[in-house]
Amino acid sequence: MDRFLYVSMSGAKETLRAQTVNNHNLANASTTGFRADLSAFQTRAVAGSGFASRAYATNSTTGFDQTQGALVQTGRELDVGVQGAGWIAVQGRDGREAYTRMGDLRIDASGLLLNGAGLPVLGDAGPLTVPPNASVMIGGDGTISIVPLGQGPETSALVGRIKLVNPPAENLARGDDGLFRLKDGTDAPADASVQLASGVLESSNVNVADAMVNMIELSRHFDLQVKAMRTAEENAATAAQLLKA
Amino acid sequence: MNPALWAAKTGLDAQQTRMSVTSNNLANVNTTGYKKSRAVFEDLLYQNVRQVGASTSQDTQAPTGLSLGTGVRVVATEKNYTQGSMQQTGNALDLAVSGRGFFQVLLPDGTLGYTRDGNFETNAQGELVTSSGYRVQPGISIPDGAQSVTVGKDGVVTVQLAGQSSPTQVGTIQIFDFINPAGLQPRGENMLIESAASGPAQGGTPGLNGLGMIEQGSLEASNVNVVEELVNMIETQRAYEMNSKAISTTDQMLEYVTNQL
Repeated sequence: MDRFLYVSMSGAKETLRAQTVNNHNLANASTTGFRADLSAFQTRAVAGSGFASRAYATNSTTGFDQTQGALVQTGRELDVGVQGAGWIAVQGRDGREAYTRMGDLRIDASGLLLNGAGLPVLGDAGPLTVPPNASVMIGGDGTISIVPLGQGPETSALVGRIKLVNPPAENLARGDDGLFRLKDGTDAPADASVQLASGVLESSNVNVADAMVNMIELSRHFDLQVKAMRTAEENAATAAQLLKA
Repeated sequence: MNPALWAAKTGLDAQQTRMSVTSNNLANVNTTGYKKSRAVFEDLLYQNVRQVGASTSQDTQAPTGLSLGTGVRVVATEKNYTQGSMQQTGNALDLAVSGRGFFQVLLPDGTLGYTRDGNFETNAQGELVTSSGYRVQPGISIPDGAQSVTVGKDGVVTVQLAGQSSPTQVGTIQIFDFINPAGLQPRGENMLIESAASGPAQGGTPGLNGLGMIEQGSLEASNVNVVEELVNMIETQRAYEMNSKAISTTDQMLEYVTNQL
């Protein structure tokens, strides 16, 4: 049978993978601070005997969408959104420093500052804790100030500063847990120019219209590959018939 | 079956949960002392199909890999403890907490519940109870023949008895606070119970140590913002539709394979 059957099969298989990436993005269309996954096809030529006409396609993750998601106003004092480029440093479940844009923070029973996924938020010196307070404010540069319980606003005290980083996007890779880390395994230095907005949450940056169009395109592309596989089968059947006659 | 179908399926599940949270908020738009919830989403684990940086020959490496996301899940529903607006009712036993803190109530099973619903009444023994009949703790008894009841901002309850010139103090209402009120476990009937995440209850006199003050003759309205919930509902519905479209498209792709080959 003609080997173009296998070329078409790899095309169909990889298109289905691309559809998975697209469906994953759509499923996360309302996940706070989510960055859309980008994937692209690459050709892999097959060397060997015969005319070099075969090139398989492979789908690969090329990075993530860096556009800013919409900042949605919530009015909750512990909700923060990163304005423009930058990341919030958190401690991943593996204990290492990792970066996220999910800024729905809360304080647990021991005073530890956690994000919505329950990961401790890092300050300049490890996880941040916030003492019991009457009110808490997060400034544009990530400084956290509180009014201690039972005291007036004149006693406002600084308790720490959220570590904000801004490494170049090409050095960042998404881990299996959905958090971003530097590819070389080091921790990024704090960047004073990253701006936080308080009382807002950044929505997912998945462009749903784009994802829908992409979905149609991938689906049609898949049909073409299957059609080619069908043609390969018909060719083989015709050849077999000729030999029989 | 194909992971593309499952990724879209998790999207449907999550949007469905978010819709339940939104409808619960909308249903409680007139519930005294109700605090709105929201669903917190998180992306699921990524499947590493092809490792980035893997060696393609002795001294070359693949510049990109392939990691496939597996969808989304709801990690938590989080309560938002912003103050609800105060509604004047004029009823002497309607109390509201202005600021932090909860009233403590003895539940029928002997555990303690916490509520911001100060819609109190008296039972046949004159004890101060919630609208479900649960006693406020520490207990307050209004004596028979009381002409009027006054609750101060600091929780001191005084009554005016017939035939007496000066009011009599019958008890003090205490307020209880938690380091992480969002960690309290909702139990229904406007009640919340202590959990490991909320920390232990710390009681005190209203108005002291950062605790809220008591407003007599007022009730705290629900803090649900109807417009916000309706916008949430639109967003949820559209996201749900798109995910269901993703499932039907993937289904059509697979159907085409079975029909053609």
